[in-house]
Amino acid sequence: MNSIELNAVTKDYKLGKVVVPALKGVHMQVSSGEFTVIAGPSGSGKTTLLNLIGCMDTPTKGVVKVAGQETGKLKETELTDLRLHKIGFIFQSFNLISVLDVFDNVEFPLLLMKSLSKQERRERVLNYVEKVGLSGHLKHRPNELSGGQRQRVAIARALVTKPEIILADEPTANLDSKTGQTIIDLMKEINKTDQTTFLFSTHDHQIMEQARRVIRLQDGTVVS
Amino acid sequence: MLQFLRIAARNLITHQTRTLLIGGAVVAVTVILVFLLSFTAGIQNTILRNSTALASGHVNVAGFYKLSQTSSAPLVSGYKPILDLVKKNVPEAALFYTRIKGFGKVISDSHSVSLPMWGIDLKNEKDVIGHLQLAKKSTYIENYKTKEGESEVEGNLQDIEKPGNMAFFATHAKKLKVRVGDTVTISVPTTRNIYNTKDVRIAAVLADMGMMSSFTTFMNEHDMRELYQTPDDTTGQIMIMLKNPNDMPAVEERLRKVLTQAGHALMDKEEQPYWMKFDRVSGESWVGQRIDVTTWKDETAYTKWVMSLLGALTFVFTAVLLTIVVLGMVNTLWMAIRERTSEIGTLRAIGLQRRQVLIMFMLEALLLSVGSIVVGIGVGTLIVSLISAAHISVESEAFQMFVMSNVLEFKIDTGNLILTFSLVCFFLVLGSLFPSYRASKMKPVSAINHVN
Repeated sequence: MNSIELNAVTKDYKLGKVVVPALKGVHMQVSSGEFTVIAGPSGSGKTTLLNLIGCMDTPTKGVVKVAGQETGKLKETELTDLRLHKIGFIFQSFNLISVLDVFDNVEFPLLLMKSLSKQERRERVLNYVEKVGLSGHLKHRPNELSGGQRQRVAIARALVTKPEIILADEPTANLDSKTGQTIIDLMKEINKTDQTTFLFSTHDHQIMEQARRVIRLQDGTVVS
Repeated sequence: MLQFLRIAARNLITHQTRTLLIGGAVVAVTVILVFLLSFTAGIQNTILRNSTALASGHVNVAGFYKLSQTSSAPLVSGYKPILDLVKKNVPEAALFYTRIKGFGKVISDSHSVSLPMWGIDLKNEKDVIGHLQLAKKSTYIENYKTKEGESEVEGNLQDIEKPGNMAFFATHAKKLKVRVGDTVTISVPTTRNIYNTKDVRIAAVLADMGMMSSFTTFMNEHDMRELYQTPDDTTGQIMIMLKNPNDMPAVEERLRKVLTQAGHALMDKEEQPYWMKFDRVSGESWVGQRIDVTTWKDETAYTKWVMSLLGALTFVFTAVLLTIVVLGMVNTLWMAIRERTSEIGTLRAIGLQRRQVLIMFMLEALLLSVGSIVVGIGVGTLIVSLISAAHISVESEAFQMFVMSNVLEFKIDTGNLILTFSLVCFFLVLGSLFPSYRASKMKPVSAINHVN
């Protein structure tokens, strides 16, 4: 079963009177539980592709299906709900809420879901914080953590809602190679244990080699 | 919601300088509003207190009697059955009393002044004028210095219970160059255009109470009856003090109805004191008795300009101050939103709805507003209380006319504090609406990639 499906997806950006094509008729499928890398040089369309799959943007042409839903047909509130319940995000710059501590950052998406009791939320948060190895840092704010620790918090926040898909835009770009490898190992482990679909972009050849599947983009088209 | 509150509070604390700047501005504006509204309420309170002590009940049953088409006298003829009817129909009353009205000259050895006069029976209205204070001798006796061990005041208001005594205010004593114990001559014109005179002793000189005390003197009721040759069944006006002054409109309306039903001819409602109605009444063709039901507001309508001026000043000040703080709040939120654009993008990406972004920023504005307004109300109330407790005297006569008193009076009114809170809060939240709305409209994809 496909978690992600793209058919003839085109995305154009307008810069004044100039139309810049970012994606040109992309076809792609990612099955449930896959651990997939999107690779390509800067400007090849990796981030645009992740944004379309992440329901943060809509295609100019073509169909994007995420968790069985065609994103172009959804309203803004429905797209937000889809992001909340089906997709987890890991960003290059971690993007944690600076005024909240580790526990509160991880708990935040669960509060938006409104489906769990306080006790259930607490248990779930502690479980994922433990999974990423930060149990001893629950009361720390992001500025009190190292880059690797911040990215671990971001991973816990992305996983805590038990999404079908995790999208990660160059998750190791701001980390040293050793910490980066630890983060990839962690993602691989979660992929293996929870069967969560991972789709992430990277430049790093060392990381590409560890993925089960690599989708290569060049000038807005899938080349392999 | 609790998490949004936590985020709002922590963001305010994190950006201390900005919070203190806008918060300080809101505190300052709130303090000024508390001051202005307490000042206005103080004057209103002074007008109510002075007018009900000097010139009016909360509600009055008065009127004019015309012997001929061109004459008019401010009298209620055959007042006793009317008083009984009034007593029966106003259970809200705390006190009923009557006064005789007059207008004449008070003549001393060297000067004279024309003044409205009230003939009163002090024992009936001790609660009304009993609290009036005696004036310090130094305020009306030229170059007077109190000697050691000597009282600063002289006379006794109680003495006007006895015929042949009168009391007036320091401003009159000063003009007439008289003091307690001196004798003055009262000269009044009767309805037959004859001037009757009587010598009376000054029993008390009262401390000035602003503009209204300039138009008031108290005489013994018997002396007034004698001067005007008023029969026993006639009075100037029936005055009603209510337990709750808020009942005034209902009582007024009821009295108009029952008096009409009882067959009395009533004058049209007019917001004027009785002495401003003489010309109009004298120009009308009717003769006989007409009853006039008035309130303290009608009898002090000539002070309306003060309230109108204060109202206009307060409005202008409020509008300017609110504009400043609203612009400050809008600017503060713009800065916060610019700094946190990427955070907004992140939150939108992880599932925060547009409506929730709006709520999050409005909550921040609300928290800042409520905190600052509460502090402002506290500080404002403290300042006003301290100024009130200091009993600052008003020396300038022009300013005395404006504040209706010879001391600065403030009244801290809960209603006004609630009004201040609601007004400032409403406008600040209104000001925060637009930037918050713009923040909620940001596309997550562009917000998340925003670089500060």
